[in-house]
Amino acid sequence: MKPSLFTRWAGMLLAAVLAATLLSGCGYNQFQAKDEATKAAWAEVVNQYQRRADLIPNLVNTVKGYATHEKDTLEAVTRARAAATSFQITPEVLNNPEAFQKFQQVQGELSSALSRLMAVSENYPQLKADASFRDLQSQLEGTENRITVARQRYIAAVQDYNVTVRSFPTNLTAMMFGYQAKPSFTVENEKSISTAPTVNFGK
Amino acid sequence: MNALPRLLWAWMLTLLLAGHAYAQGQFKPVPALRARVTDEIGMLTPDQRQKLEGVLADYEAKTGSQIAVLLVASTEPEAIEQYSIRVADAWKLGRKGVDDGVLLVVAKDNPKALRRLRIEAGRGVQGVLTDAQSKRILEDTIAPHFRQQDWYGGLVAGVGAIATLLNQEKFPAPPAQPTAQQHEDDGPNVVVSIFLILVGITVLRSVFRPRRTRLAQPGRYGSGWGSGTTGFILGNILANAAHQHDNDRWRGGGFSGGFSDGGGGGFSGGGGGSFDGGGASGDW
Repeated sequence: MKPSLFTRWAGMLLAAVLAATLLSGCGYNQFQAKDEATKAAWAEVVNQYQRRADLIPNLVNTVKGYATHEKDTLEAVTRARAAATSFQITPEVLNNPEAFQKFQQVQGELSSALSRLMAVSENYPQLKADASFRDLQSQLEGTENRITVARQRYIAAVQDYNVTVRSFPTNLTAMMFGYQAKPSFTVENEKSISTAPTVNFGK
Repeated sequence: MNALPRLLWAWMLTLLLAGHAYAQGQFKPVPALRARVTDEIGMLTPDQRQKLEGVLADYEAKTGSQIAVLLVASTEPEAIEQYSIRVADAWKLGRKGVDDGVLLVVAKDNPKALRRLRIEAGRGVQGVLTDAQSKRILEDTIAPHFRQQDWYGGLVAGVGAIATLLNQEKFPAPPAQPTAQQHEDDGPNVVVSIFLILVGITVLRSVFRPRRTRLAQPGRYGSGWGSGTTGFILGNILANAAHQHDNDRWRGGGFSGGFSDGGGGGFSGGGGGSFDGGGASGDW
């Protein structure tokens, strides 16, 4: 009985080692690492969008104090912010292109509402001279840049992941475990959602 | 019969090289990090560059935080933010895990739309060097000097303002300074430095009095570091200049990588800090 127990253990060990080598050879571990990398990059994107959303109430209040005639623009920003923050960001979003596109859309609408607000604020010299507005403006600018950077890093992480999903032989592993290419930010989407602000000189 | 594979190889090689050249030609490449002050266009005289380098090296030796300055002609076709984040990612200024690196970029001939000034703040310093503070440094401290073509003065004032802000944050202490010989000549140095700093502050106070309303109005800009810092840095520089014959001081400056000469030749590079695009862009 003893030798058979030993061989059984040895066999199991061998099988485990074989499976480990096979799986890592087929890129299973690679998928796990890259999947985590995209999740981390995504978390940073969401984090920076949240940072922007947190800045907006202060910004709107400051502008309100000076630009009393810009009710529509201010309301548009508040509405877009509400839409963006009420959008549920689940881990699903990463694997669901439609939800991903919706996320991009609500954030894009907020971006364009904000840029209209900033354009409008140019007309109010007193507002522009206000120290707290200046600070908020630079914070917003910095956060927009952070968003850009976070998006770029997400795009790079997804690209890395997707290349692994599609290229041989790791695509076989992907097929076996049902790993799909992840959606990413695209310029085409950006263009369609960010409607250029209309300039009306005949006012 | 050997011709086809050879042709194929040649074709692939050409493609590879062409692709490489294309990728290189598109954007301005990131320069190598050889010193804390990288001046690609000769905005500073060698002497000024060396002094600024000395101030930054000293600051790093004292606090562990890395501040670097990059002066380029233009970042076209990219905006300065896009270029500077690439530089910051490649240089990895600041200590790993502390992320206390700051990069100051000047693109002298950039068109207005792409901006000409940029502070890239590491993740760890953003608590004190906020976007708003970065913007103020660019607009209130550096820009007035740059408008008068006083590049050196602007950079020194800007670096001083950045350093003053970073001092408010409690970062981990730098690695212990090794040389014992240094302690001996530290005594007189400190006295001379303090004296010269006081002189610098006094002189600058009187020089900058008309501008104090903007630079150092208490309440509006918090601590009002404008002229005080400039004085501090200038005083420091004077002190350095006074001790320049004492080259050993920089040589053994306690910089972890072994700072081999006054020009910063032995600068060991970035410490592994990370950046997230925070900071501010500006113009003059």
